[in-house]
Amino acid sequence: MNPATAILFTGGVLGAGVYIVSVLDRLLAGTAAGNREGTAALLLDPFRSVALLMSQRRTVTERPDREAWALAPALLAGLAAVAFTAIPLTPGLAIADVPVGIVLFGAALVQVMVAVFLHGWSSNSIFPLIGGYRFAALALSVGIPFSLVLITTAIPAESLSVGVIISSQAELWNVLRQPLGLPIYLLTALGFAFWGPFQHPDAADLAGGSQTETSGTALLAWRTARAALLVSAAAMGSAAFLGGPLGPWLPGWAWSILKTVALLAVMIWFGHRTARPRMENVVKFGWLVLLPLALVDVFVSGALTL
Amino acid sequence: MSGGWPTDVLFWAFSAMAVISAILVFVTDSMVRAAYWLMASFVAVGAILVTLNAQFLGLILILMMAGEMTIMAIFMVMFMMNPAGLNPMLMVHQHRTAILSGVGSFLALATVGLFAEFPDRPAAIVGPAIVPLGQELLGTSMLVFESAGVALLAVMIGAIALVSHRGRYGDAEQGSEEPPLEVETSQ
Amino acid sequence: MGLKGLLAGIAGRARVPVFAVGGAGARDDLANLRLRTEISMLDTPRPANILLVAGSFTDAGIAALRRVHDQMSPPRLTVHWGPTTLEGLPAEHVVSGNVDGLVDAIVDLHRALLHGTLPSEAPLLPDIDPAEWRNVGPYGQGGKGMTGGVPYGRPMAERGPDRDGIQLDRLPVTLGPWLPALPAGLTLRVTFQGDIIQEASVGPAAVTAAIASPFKEALRRPVPLADLELARARHHLIWLAEALRLVGLGALGLRALRLAARLTPQDNDAVDALARAIRKSGAFAWSLGSAGRLDPSLTEGLGPVARASGLPDDARLEDPTYRSLGFTPITFADGDPRARWRQRLAEITQSLDLAMQAPDRTAFGDGVVEGPHGRLEQGAPTPSSRLLELLPALLTGLEWGDAVTCLASIDMDPAEAAAAPPSAGEGEAA
Repeated sequence: MNPATAILFTGGVLGAGVYIVSVLDRLLAGTAAGNREGTAALLLDPFRSVALLMSQRRTVTERPDREAWALAPALLAGLAAVAFTAIPLTPGLAIADVPVGIVLFGAALVQVMVAVFLHGWSSNSIFPLIGGYRFAALALSVGIPFSLVLITTAIPAESLSVGVIISSQAELWNVLRQPLGLPIYLLTALGFAFWGPFQHPDAADLAGGSQTETSGTALLAWRTARAALLVSAAAMGSAAFLGGPLGPWLPGWAWSILKTVALLAVMIWFGHRTARPRMENVVKFGWLVLLPLALVDVFVSGALTL
Repeated sequence: MSGGWPTDVLFWAFSAMAVISAILVFVTDSMVRAAYWLMASFVAVGAILVTLNAQFLGLILILMMAGEMTIMAIFMVMFMMNPAGLNPMLMVHQHRTAILSGVGSFLALATVGLFAEFPDRPAAIVGPAIVPLGQELLGTSMLVFESAGVALLAVMIGAIALVSHRGRYGDAEQGSEEPPLEVETSQ
Repeated sequence: MGLKGLLAGIAGRARVPVFAVGGAGARDDLANLRLRTEISMLDTPRPANILLVAGSFTDAGIAALRRVHDQMSPPRLTVHWGPTTLEGLPAEHVVSGNVDGLVDAIVDLHRALLHGTLPSEAPLLPDIDPAEWRNVGPYGQGGKGMTGGVPYGRPMAERGPDRDGIQLDRLPVTLGPWLPALPAGLTLRVTFQGDIIQEASVGPAAVTAAIASPFKEALRRPVPLADLELARARHHLIWLAEALRLVGLGALGLRALRLAARLTPQDNDAVDALARAIRKSGAFAWSLGSAGRLDPSLTEGLGPVARASGLPDDARLEDPTYRSLGFTPITFADGDPRARWRQRLAEITQSLDLAMQAPDRTAFGDGVVEGPHGRLEQGAPTPSSRLLELLPALLTGLEWGDAVTCLASIDMDPAEAAAAPPSAGEGEAA
């Protein structure tokens, strides 16, 4: 795939994913609230919100770090895109199905910490700053279990390539072969996308956290990037645990999309019905529950492979 | 990534990025910016490794640096008490020592680079480098190293489990009362 | 026009981003606005286009409102909801009437604003530093050494011992009075170390005094018991919506608001279903800690807060009508945020039961009433004013997230706190 097509393809697919996320979010928030909105309103609302934010002129805080403030949403979007390139939608259709694809994905997601911290730091305001600190604690707590369960899918495949990990699931999907993997992955992926119960960096008790002082196109960029990150994480979940394009009757790309949307729906549904834990409980949960479980996942999978 | 002029262009571009962002670490007046310029420098080095077909090493370097630099930035802000978004501060201290040691180490490294005899055995690029690299680094001791790694990990988890169940002054929800111990202030 | 007009046309159909500020007496009406899909109520003024002002404010509150106004990104517009405008804020748009009329007016004004037929409001305050740059210290940062100082008139971080016995930064900030995570009108002066509150004090009152009806009327004349109990249940449901929103359960909060908007004594099944959903969300298990426990001896007369710490303290016990219905207060033992949530959930059910039992009996009327925040008595300080005094000690040492849940759990009302000891004369004025 030549670079121009690759960029258009990644942007197009992620853009569609972001649209699906915002529709699903509104729909599932409505069902949790016991309130159904009209289909037209649901489907059109994302475009309206985009137009609204585009028509706002930004104001800035007192002495912000302007460069970092502008960089943070772009960095977050870029990282979501880089993470996405490692995932083949069908065996032939991967932008960067490099031999170490899963490390590429992990490296991109870990850098999210930089984007969120800078976003919180740069506006020179107390709540965004606390939001940035919180993400550091959150990402460090969920990061190691996240990487562990992801890397465990490489054990049966004996390769770090996402394409090989997918084809290694031809007989048995990893979700069955490594039953601990997918639940831990989804929880920690919610953490990395600071979504739902892990919304600490942008939470209501911080009046929006890292985005408290952000408006207009910058806010649009930040929210889009965050949704894109969730899409990339779900796409990787479908590839690493649900066999990605594998499946009968339908073409491979259709299975990839279906599984990704299904994972997105599960994560967003969970988000609207689960309370945000206290920060201390998040750290305890990450280190004392998820990490040991992820290690069990590694050891059991390793033993089964030997 | 294999040969050709695009790789050369990328190599030089990342090299320039590594050097420029390394210089910016000392020019900027903000601790957070300094930490992240340093990270940008490391990311460029990681990217150079990727262009040199050491993809795994390069990506692992990038992966490690994000968390480390964020922690470094937070600790600097915590201990220096200087929110540098508003308060500018100088990133270089002890100028004479710094200049002398910098020039000295540059000269030493340059001498090594110019006069040492490096082996010239260009390896053919044959697919993934992970397996050969692992063989080269660890050989038959792989199991030993892996076991040691797992043991270290277990120790780390044990340490975390010991300290995190109960902080020095109890859980955060107990409230953080001032400890009843003498705090020495070095004023 | 062209593209810009098209953009404005599409944007005009989006939910109107509103930052609503409620003064005394506006709590319930503003809460009901959250149910409307035409507008969205934001946590922060930055991305808001409409500043909605309702209720009555003190001068300090209005001064803070002017800063909030300037923080909104243009295009922006101020809308007053109520009979009058506030001195010092743009006063072109006053809407009186019910929620429906208000929402329609806001949508129309917002469209006009986007299309440019209404101009965006200019800043109210000059865009200057509070003080000149003070170039002091070896690095020009304004303070001694590398810390502290007031470089532009704003205090910078200083060193101070933290709970681990090391010297870390202390940053003094003023929060509120219009921070949606705090009770509307509460100003907190906080010294942060990281996100831990090292010191806290309460700033000037931003809202004028008000005691919620029908509890205020019940101080001086008997009021139908069903009215009182429905009002109490509604108050707690609106509190619940806000508390749920703060722990990331805004969708469940809307369910509570919808219940409150059309509450009848027969709604106990719906309340139970909501309570089950809250339990399943894990809010009790991992969102509410024991941070912010209040000693029972401090809570006498503080209504749900007292009963959540195990005191069977309730003015309804002194009223013959309640006694004849066999009223016994519900209590929980722990006195922490978790217990206070359980307490109020249980009291919603209890209030609905009481309202059902006595549809046409009256209660109170001789100078004492059990209000939603506790015992209201002529000549005695209001429960909220006593809670206000407890705040600094309660919040010190808590992480900010815990401080917010703790504050939400005690349900302090700055308008009631500003009210002098209620007297019979004040009841007449209303």
